[in-house]
Amino acid sequence: MSRVIGIDLGTTNSCVSVVENGQSTVIPNSGGYKTTPSMFGISQDGKRLVGHLAKRHAITNARNTIFAAKRLIGRRFDDPEVQKSIDLCPYEIVRGPNDDPRIKIGGKTFTCPEISGIILREMKRVAEEYLSETVQEAVITVPAYFNDTQRQCTKDAGKIAGLEVLRIINEPTAAALSYGMNRQGDEKIAVYDLGGGTFDISILEMSDGVIEVLATSGNTFLGGEDFDRRIVQHLVEWFEETEGMDLRGDTMALQRLKDASEKAKCDLSMRDVVEINLPFIASDAEGPRHLNYELTRENLENLVHDVVEGTLKSVEQCCVDAGVQAQDIDQVVLVGGQTRMPLVQKRVTEYFGKRPHKGVNPDEVVGLGAAVQAAALLDSDNDMLLLDVTPLSLGIGTYGGHFARLIERNTTVPVSKGHIFTTTRDDQSAVKIRVLQGESDMAAENDLLGEFVLSGIRPAPKGEPEIEVSFDIDANGIVSVSARDLSTGKEQSITVSSTGTLSDAEIDEIIEEHDLYEVQLKD
Amino acid sequence: MAQVPEQNDWVLALAPGCDAEQLVRSAAEGYLFSRIDGLTPWRLLREIGGIPAEQVDACLERWLDDGALDVVGGRATTSGASSGAKAEADAPSVDAAEAPSNASVAIDEGALDDRLDIGLDVQRRILEYEASLGRPYHELLGVQPGASPKDVKKAYFKLSKEFHPDRYFRKEIGRYGERLGRIFKKVLEAHEILSDPELCQVENQPAAAPVEAAPPVDAATVPESSPTKSEESAERTKPAKPRPLTKLERLKQRMPFKINHAALNARRQQADEIFRAAQASQQAGRLQEAEASIRIAITFDPARAEFKEALGSLKIAAAGARAANLLAKPSERMSDSELFEALRLIEDVLPYRPHDPELNERAGRICLRLEKYDDAREYIETLLIRQPESAPAHTMLGRIHKALGDLDAAVRAFETALKFDEDDLEARRSLAAVRIGARDAARGGSTS
Repeated sequence: MSRVIGIDLGTTNSCVSVVENGQSTVIPNSGGYKTTPSMFGISQDGKRLVGHLAKRHAITNARNTIFAAKRLIGRRFDDPEVQKSIDLCPYEIVRGPNDDPRIKIGGKTFTCPEISGIILREMKRVAEEYLSETVQEAVITVPAYFNDTQRQCTKDAGKIAGLEVLRIINEPTAAALSYGMNRQGDEKIAVYDLGGGTFDISILEMSDGVIEVLATSGNTFLGGEDFDRRIVQHLVEWFEETEGMDLRGDTMALQRLKDASEKAKCDLSMRDVVEINLPFIASDAEGPRHLNYELTRENLENLVHDVVEGTLKSVEQCCVDAGVQAQDIDQVVLVGGQTRMPLVQKRVTEYFGKRPHKGVNPDEVVGLGAAVQAAALLDSDNDMLLLDVTPLSLGIGTYGGHFARLIERNTTVPVSKGHIFTTTRDDQSAVKIRVLQGESDMAAENDLLGEFVLSGIRPAPKGEPEIEVSFDIDANGIVSVSARDLSTGKEQSITVSSTGTLSDAEIDEIIEEHDLYEVQLKD
Repeated sequence: MAQVPEQNDWVLALAPGCDAEQLVRSAAEGYLFSRIDGLTPWRLLREIGGIPAEQVDACLERWLDDGALDVVGGRATTSGASSGAKAEADAPSVDAAEAPSNASVAIDEGALDDRLDIGLDVQRRILEYEASLGRPYHELLGVQPGASPKDVKKAYFKLSKEFHPDRYFRKEIGRYGERLGRIFKKVLEAHEILSDPELCQVENQPAAAPVEAAPPVDAATVPESSPTKSEESAERTKPAKPRPLTKLERLKQRMPFKINHAALNARRQQADEIFRAAQASQQAGRLQEAEASIRIAITFDPARAEFKEALGSLKIAAAGARAANLLAKPSERMSDSELFEALRLIEDVLPYRPHDPELNERAGRICLRLEKYDDAREYIETLLIRQPESAPAHTMLGRIHKALGDLDAAVRAFETALKFDEDDLEARRSLAAVRIGARDAARGGSTS
């Protein structure tokens, strides 16, 4: 049996792992790096570059190098996140025929699943080189807030890469799995994940190898980039005060400031003071101006203090949802590069009253967890069991445009739940069941997954008929919904299949094209 | 007929060779008959809508008397009450998590299959557990009534490890996959109820007020004989007693969702305000603003028909206004991107005014400049239906034909244009150009 890998498909970096002899290992790429940039580019002479090569290439040819495609995957073109990326990204984002964002580089248009697929293919290649055997199956991680479409697109990306995706699991869950492997006894774990663009907190319970998600919370608009922005803002204000010049309109200067701020922020995790030196940042009649500023760690901590406190508010909410007190948490696992910041570590330590777990690398822990789940599913020696959860609430649309939630988000699957509904008009003979997914109380703001009609209801005054609507999710996440008239026993049901932004035919076409390309490479 | 408590958890199955045709007297009975599946306990059968519980009892008893049904499970325990104690008394108990493999629950030996990737003892365990899913929740989890959340969780995890379908991922387990799914969902439900203090209290009521139940039915007795009437009459004298919740009651009690009426009313009011603002903008002639506002009003209250109607009429008005705007600027002075924008707008507007000659002419001109000749031709031909004598239209048609390479048709079109307007300079020039081109081509052809 060929081995199954776990892939952390990250926004900026990806990481592939495997479980060997009961130990999870990160697989280094041929350059010896444990993580590979999630970047893809086309060079001037038409060569396709992935990973570190693409990152180096980006310096000289930013317009033809794609990064952070994960921000776009599974979204509509009009999504604010996509519009934000259009403003920020040097590459061209265009509207695709399915209303999905597509990226145009080197005169060719790529869909987002295709780009993720290219990166996954690279990760697969890294694993195959290391294991000296072909790899066909993988477990892939996604952020906890990813919706059905985004998850399905990630699966499609796996298909494009020639991988069968056994499961898609949440990043914080994967981190907990990695922590929990080879560990006995009962523990409650908090996974604090502060990445580049988002913040996630999950509380899980573990006992004798069984892991259950108790609650997840977070903020999709809060992350390491906010830290950078605060520094940039501070520098712009300082420059205006000392030099009397406003840099806000100068995009070139702002980009330089942003890069420098990010670097300074990272350096301040290890040092107490850094110098930000940006010569020729601007010029006016009196000649060129230079920016030279000494940023201390204390300085930075004052700037971002409230952002860190904001994450702790989410943590508090998550504890309430999970029904636990902060001091009940036995172990805190940190994920994401931003958690290297001493202030974050200090505040998390203070909040939970204990030091975060030291044994895991925040960049690798998610990928390792994916491999652990792969082993848990297929390796009979592995005794771990993840009680996975459904990411979004499911329910039906009811009278007046409400959303009646039957299965709350974070409910363990497989699960089935029912509720009694009734008619709204006298002698109503049919009801329409609209299956929705989302977190809004208004039906119209949630995603419609499917609908069907239950007819043949006996004439009765409104409110009298009893119609039992049951939702069922199986272990593979497939949702089926049935409605049964309790007085006649009449039943109607539907199985909801999630779809990505590409059709099966489109995916096959892409796979064929990439296979051709592979052949060309070998020539 | 009174409720017979120890029958509550009996699980009935059709006896081999029973004939439904003879047993079933009415549609309701037929429905009840169809629900006898070897899984559903008596008390759940009783709750099936449309048939009074007494009728269900009578009907099931009659079928049992007739030998059409077998009791295949649930005999060793009675509803809630003293089951814990009784389970201990009855030697081969079906105590949930700890059930030994030789438990007394009748299972279908025929379902065992040694070709599967799953041991026969495990198969037996799964079948037994599934056959007794009708038990009270705490028995299912194998904990005492009123057990601590910690114990409930431990039992739940333990059973998960045994029955979660992922434990057999990719294994050849035949129909055991569905069985595991059913079992796990039930275990999950038991855990959910028992770890919720409120729901748990309701669930444990029978245990809090134990009832003197009829003598325990010996698990060893074969289920052919029907329950004796004497036991029933003994039951009838009992005062009203707490009973386990019916499925229906449980469903009704567990409101899985709460509708926040205050928030919804606030939204409705907001929708009204926004709609009023939209009407004001519309009166002031700011149609785009009005449309945007109505859209927001609709997201705030999607159920209001009047908002949608207003949006519809506004769109038609806005289409007319936009069309007028577009026609104000000649296409010759537009850049490519402006042309695309204009074409998109016209295409938006055209469905509302498909035969507007000005719109069609404009669309044709733009398409011609954008080299979308087939589209251009369609627009101009539509225009010519309305204005067959328009010289500029014929000229344009000629240019389109020329671009498409049909020189004869181009010449004809230019000539038609000149017929309607002798002074049409463009037609005259184009005609001359085509003729010269044709002559040059003919010459080129002869020399080569």
